[in-house]
This record gives sequence, C-alpha cells and structure tokens, in this order.
Amino acid sequence: MGRIPASYLMNRAITLVLTIVIAATLIWLIPRLSPVDPAEIMLGRMTAGAGTVEGSEQILATLQERFGLNDPLLVQYAKYMRNILFLDFGLSTASFPTPVSTLIANALPWTIGLMLISIVITFLIGNLLGALMVWEHTPRLWKVAIPAAMVFTSIPPILSGLLLMWIFSAQLQWFPLTGAYGLTVEPGWSWDFAGSVLHHGFLPALSIVVVTFGFWALGMRGLMITVQGEDYTTLAKAKGLRPRYILYRYMIRNAILPQITAFALKIGLLIAGQVLVERIFAYNGMGKLLYDAILDQDFPVIQGVSFVIILMTALAVFIVDLVYPLIDPRIRHEAA
Amino acid sequence: MNVLDINDLSIDFPTSKGVVHAVSHFSLSVPKGRRVGFIGESGSGKTTTALAAMRMLAAPGFVAGGSIRLNGVGGTDLLGLSDEEMRRVRLRRISYIPQGAMNSLNPVMRVETQIWDGIVAHEGHVEPGELQRRSREVLAGVGLEPHVGQLYPHELSGGMKQRVCIAIGVCLQPDLIIADEPTSALDVITQRHVMQTLREVQDKIGAGLILIGHDMGLMAQSVDDLAVMRLGELVEFGDVRQILENPRHPYTRELISSVPLVGGDSFLDSTPRAPEVQTDTGAPPLLEFRNVSRRYGAVTALHPMSFRLDGAVPQIISIVGQSGSGKSTMGGLMLGFNTPSTGEVLFKGQDINALGGAAALTFRKEVQAVFQDPYACFNPFYRVNHALKFPFKRFGLARDEAHVTTAMEEACVAVGLDPSLVLNRYPHQLSGGQRQRLIVARALMLSPKLLIADEPVSMVDASLRATILKNIHDLKDKHGISILYITHDLATAYHVSDYVMVLYHGHVVEAGPPKEVIGHPQHAYTRLLIDSIPWPDMDRDWGSAADARADLEELDRISQRPETVYRGDVPGFHLAQA
Repeated sequence: MGRIPASYLMNRAITLVLTIVIAATLIWLIPRLSPVDPAEIMLGRMTAGAGTVEGSEQILATLQERFGLNDPLLVQYAKYMRNILFLDFGLSTASFPTPVSTLIANALPWTIGLMLISIVITFLIGNLLGALMVWEHTPRLWKVAIPAAMVFTSIPPILSGLLLMWIFSAQLQWFPLTGAYGLTVEPGWSWDFAGSVLHHGFLPALSIVVVTFGFWALGMRGLMITVQGEDYTTLAKAKGLRPRYILYRYMIRNAILPQITAFALKIGLLIAGQVLVERIFAYNGMGKLLYDAILDQDFPVIQGVSFVIILMTALAVFIVDLVYPLIDPRIRHEAA
Repeated sequence: MNVLDINDLSIDFPTSKGVVHAVSHFSLSVPKGRRVGFIGESGSGKTTTALAAMRMLAAPGFVAGGSIRLNGVGGTDLLGLSDEEMRRVRLRRISYIPQGAMNSLNPVMRVETQIWDGIVAHEGHVEPGELQRRSREVLAGVGLEPHVGQLYPHELSGGMKQRVCIAIGVCLQPDLIIADEPTSALDVITQRHVMQTLREVQDKIGAGLILIGHDMGLMAQSVDDLAVMRLGELVEFGDVRQILENPRHPYTRELISSVPLVGGDSFLDSTPRAPEVQTDTGAPPLLEFRNVSRRYGAVTALHPMSFRLDGAVPQIISIVGQSGSGKSTMGGLMLGFNTPSTGEVLFKGQDINALGGAAALTFRKEVQAVFQDPYACFNPFYRVNHALKFPFKRFGLARDEAHVTTAMEEACVAVGLDPSLVLNRYPHQLSGGQRQRLIVARALMLSPKLLIADEPVSMVDASLRATILKNIHDLKDKHGISILYITHDLATAYHVSDYVMVLYHGHVVEAGPPKEVIGHPQHAYTRLLIDSIPWPDMDRDWGSAADARADLEELDRISQRPETVYRGDVPGFHLAQA
C-alpha cells in the first residue's frame, strides 16, 4: 500500500503528545478548583470509624505533608507531571496506602476485555445493519425489523442491564447475576476460568451492544445514503457487478471510513459509559473503580482513571490516524 | 441491423402532486455502428430514457408502457428479464458512461481493479496475467499509459478519469454504448480529446452509440443521427446534417439559435455604443491589481499581474481560461476572499485587505458577486425574498418596508422575472435559471460599482444563458456597473465583453478587445481553445483524435515558456505589460 510520509507521522505524533499533556494538566487542575481537602476527608473517614481520633491535628498535618499538599502549586504540578510519566498516580486515599496504579492494573484488563468485545461487536453489527437499511436488495422484513430494533437505543443502559438480568439471570438462570468470574474457579490461564469469564461477561456486553448499536446503525445509514447516490455506485451497477460485491467493495468500503474515526473516539467514552453497567453487574472494571472513587472523593484514583481514559482515546486516535492512509489512499496524497 | 429498438416507451414518476410523465410514447432505433445523439434541456427525459435501457431508473420512476429490445440477446424485451439476466446484459451488451467524470470511479480502488471487477463479474474466473493484459490493452485504446492502471482515481485528471470510464465501457466490446454527457465537466480542449477517443474506440468495436447532451455543437461534431427531446417527447429525429441545416420543429430551431457563436450574430441585440470620450477625473481607479500573485504551497495559481480598471466608463472585462488556469483565484482575490501572496488589490485606491469597519462595509456593498451554482446560493430555509431583503436592509438602503418591496420588485422586473411569481417562494420551488436571475437582481438592488461574475451561466440551460447574460450586460448599459466576467466559454466572452484576458497556468497569454483576441487569435493557446470549440456546423471539421493529441502536446510546449500577446487597449482599462 505504499509508505506513510514522515511529515504526516511527525504531525500525528506531536498531536498525540500535546493531547496527553493538555489532558493531564486539566485532570490535575480541575480537582484543585474544588474546596475539598483530601486529607480532611481521610481524617473524617477515620473519625467516622473510630469515634474520636487522638492528635487529629497532627495526623492532618502529616497527611497533608505526605500528599504534598503544602507545596506551592507549581511544584505540585511539576511533581505530578514527572510521576505521570512513570504512570505513578500516587496512593489512593480511600484504599490507603494502595498505589493507584495497582488498582488500575487490577481493573483495566476486565474493562478492556468487556469493552473491546462489546464495542467491536457493536461496531460490526451496527454498521452492517445501518448498511442494510439502505441497500436496495435487503429483504423487506429486515428493512422493517431494523428500524424497529432501534427502540432499544433509547433505553438507558442501566435499565437494559436490569431487564437482561431479570430475564436471563433471574428467570431463565442462563447466566450468573453478578461478578466477573465464578467464585469456584481459580483465576489463571485455564479453560475453566476463560469459560467462566465469557459466561459472566456475556450479559454486561449484551446490555452495551443492545443500547449502542443504534448509534452506529444510524450514522452508517446516513453515510450509505450519500454513497448510494455517488456516481461510482451508479457505474458499479452499470458494470453489471454482483449486488453483494457492490455492497461490500463500493458502498460499505467507502461509507465505513468516517465511522472508523468515530470508533476511535468512542473507545475513551466507553469506559465512562460503562460505569453504570459495571456497577449493576458488580463487574470489577475501570467503571466500577471510577464510580467508587467518585463516591469516596478519592482524587488520586479519579485522576488516574481519567488519565488512562484519555491516554486510551489519544492512542486509539493515533493508531487510527496511522492506519487511515492505508485504508483511504486519498489521505496519503493529501499528506504528501 | 439495429442494435436497439425502443418502441412506444413511456416512463412515469408518481409524485405527491400526481404522476409526472417523464417520457411519453418514445420510439427510436439505434443501428449497429451508428452514433445517435439525444439532445434536450434538463428534464427533457433524455437521461431517463437511457437509464430505462439499463433498467436503472431511479425510484419511484417506472416504465409505464412500451418495450426496449436488444438484438444481442435475441431481440428479447429487456423489461422482461430477471434481475440476474439484466445484470449480465449490463457492460457486456450495453455499457453506460455516466455524467460525473470526477466521481465515477471508486476512490479507494486502483483503476485496473475497477476494470478487472467488471470483466470477472461477467466471465467468472480469469487468470491474473490475462486480466493484466486486457486492462493494459483497453487503457492503451483510450491513450493511457499502462502505469495508469496502478493509480488511484484521485491521482488522475478529469480527462483521464473520463477516459478510464470509456475504457471500462468498451472492455467487453458491448453492442451499445450509452454516454451520458461524458464531457460536461471537462474544458473544451479535454472535451475534444475525450470525444475523439470515444468515437475512435466505438468505431473500432463497431458498437452503436447513444450520446446524451445539451450542446448542439458537440452533437454536430460527434453523432450521425439526432433525436431532439422536449418534456419527455421526441420532437424531431433524423440525420444530424439535415436537422442542423433544415430544422423542422420550432424547438429545434430554438436550440440551434441559442448556441452563441464566435463571430456570429450577437444575442444581445444592443446597438453598439458610440465610443465615449474618456475623461480623466483624477479619481483613483475602481479596481487595481498591483503586482498581485497567489501561491498555494508550491503551486503558483496566479503569477504577478498588474492592471487598472478605471470604472469611469463601465466596462465588461472577461477572464477566460480552462479549469486550473487561475481565473477563479483572480475572482477570489478581487472579492477579498483570498489574500494575495505578493502585491496589493486596491478598490478606489484602498487596499481591500486592510479596510476598516465602515470601509469594509462599503466595499461589500459596492462589489457584488454572482457565482456558478445557483442552487447553492440560497439558504434553503428562507423564502427567496429574504436573500434580497437582507443585504438591502443591512447596508442601510431601506427607508421602510414598502421601499424594500418596491426595490425588490423593480430588481426582479429588471432581470425579466415576475415578482409576484418568484418572491414568495422557497429556493427549491424555482428553476436554476430563475435563481440565477434572482442573484443578479439581488446584486442590482445594492447599486454596486463592480460585479464579479464567476461562471454565471455554466450551470443553466442553453436557452436561458442568453437571457441571463443579457441581464448582466444590462447592468453595464443601464446601471453603469463594471463587470468582471469569469468564464471558460469564449463565445459568450466574445459577445458581452469590452476586453478579454486569456489565462493559462496563472499567466495572461493574450489580452485585448474580443474581436481581436477571440476573433483573430494570435497566441497558440488561444487558437487551440477556439479550435476546440465544437461548432454546430457540419462543414467545420473538429479534427481527428490524432489532431487532438497533437494539440495537447502543443499545450505542454506552451506551458514551458508562456509569453503574452498584447492586442491593444480599450479606454478605461489598462493591463501592465511585463
């Protein structure tokens, strides 16, 4: 497919770094605009647990010292940026003294597994259905059924989650109610464990797919209508090509291009969107970690999770930018 | 023997306002090896008829009656074939070359792949080496090098893309080729080359050809028989020479007479004005270019140029050239939409790119524009009177509501529109010609000093072109507005303008009064442009494909060393000589 020009690569790499730096700064800045002092919250939690805490003044001072809250803001910022370079987000205030990076490392694989599976399935199903809504050879039944299925898009994911739970877990008992894997299996690289994970992940993934495929389907529908009116589609038909070949190689192939960019942007949003789904299914992923951290006002964890979300989005966009010239020859031309 | 027999064909489009008879009782035959032209304005049913033969009518159109028989498949009625049988007829028996040369190829597929998929769809599996050989052969047939096959469409020029479409159309040696305005997006020089190529390959495979178009000159130079269509009916059919020289139907006569000719009678029927004495008022010139150039990255769209338009006596200055010659760049510079890379654009002595608030407003009022696309110039959510009212009020010209209404009505009447019929409508309810005239009316209401008209008639039907150009010409004569007319059409420039500049690759190659520059061109490029115009005259030869190719090579030579031929001045306009 030819080489990607170096100038294009440089351009994208600079954008990537800039995005991450700006995002990291914002993440650092926003909680500092809040009047809450994390050391006081910790102390408050200790007080709530033990009734009274002896030498609370001193503990507060120690905590503030330990968190570096007494340093000038610029020093705090510099330290934060240096730490972030090594993915060190400090210690959690709620699960003190566990490092935030450990919490994230434990939660991330679950979310990535669930998220990637569900988002890829959603993307494929959504775009295919969207394309079929426009294609002239789609069976009539499908043309009626697909828009009808869009109703699910308007259901909030928590509701669809609860509904699926009620049908498949409570009534039919096909799938477990909660958790990321069964209590009886030992986590590790075994078939039992993998089966258990898939079994547990199915409903959360389904609840995400059901409510989000409409986003892709509607977007794809609009793009397909444009492509259907393009002269190259007319010429493809005039060439006597087989309808399916035209659908895949001429129509979807062109209509999918903007959707791929949207896909990259969605990756970051999805962790945020998954918060409630993970919460309902008691799935120990990033969403649940973020949810709990917000309830506990656990700033370091909120910062860490937000940073990871942004990092993933920026990386996804970067990767798509790199892949794009390979799937759309016109981009290579413009970049050169 | 006939390749195609269309018998009593009727095509209907059911709409919310009743059934539209797009084509009614149309009968026609295309003999083997013969070229038949379908001519008519937009909405005449010529493309609809062709699409019916491909069985590719756009919904909700349907064939209401008649038959389309193709002798290549045993004279069966195409309308009775199954979808799969019809698919096999396409490309193999009838091939279709669509209108939009720019977008007819799949942008993400290499050119050769788009030739191969057509072959494979009809012949099943073919060895890669054989596909390679055949795609090279058809590309060579339309004068393209073998390496073009490995390129993507965006790497080709418009003329090359259209030749690729022709190559695709002939790769299976069909019985009939339908070419739907194959050159409408191309400039005259490329048009001639593409048409000659099409004729050459069609001759070689002996197929019948249906050429759809609206240009009588192109028809005269390209086809044997001509079918004149109007509102879905065939009004005249016969040998092209006989129709041109002795048209029987009044509509045919109208079509022929609407073609503006270089040196022919003027369609403006205005008496030549007595040459006015130029008085040097000492006022700064209306518009001045001082060493203006414009670069886009490494490409120079306009080389440094200087001219002065006094504006004391209104003039129409034409800027002619092919696409990419820099003429629209010049228009953008004059309107301040583009900033010059070097030099200054002055309006009444002031640099238009350094105007303050009030001065900028005055500039916007005094310099008006008419653009190419009358469909894109209106906000579809407002009635058209909004577009007329808004600037009029914005520039503080309106005294009261009644004044606005009177001004709008006067402007409409001035461009030959009935205000009661157009003003309260939405843009989509009006024809392209009506919209373009409203744009002229809108400009007129602001009593500007200068009008920049960038291809104002290239998207309207031929019969309306003369009317709109007459409206624009009246702006000069009756309202004292100077006009810069940007066009690729030399014949209209010949008639409306006082001075012509021929642009090529950002250089002025020839400039002077139109009777000199276009009537008796001296620069090789101007001559080539004029030779490439298809004349609606059978005795005037358009040359062969080889001539067209030789001319293109000549072009390359010119672009190496452009020089300017000055053909004299007119009072009130001065082009600086390099």
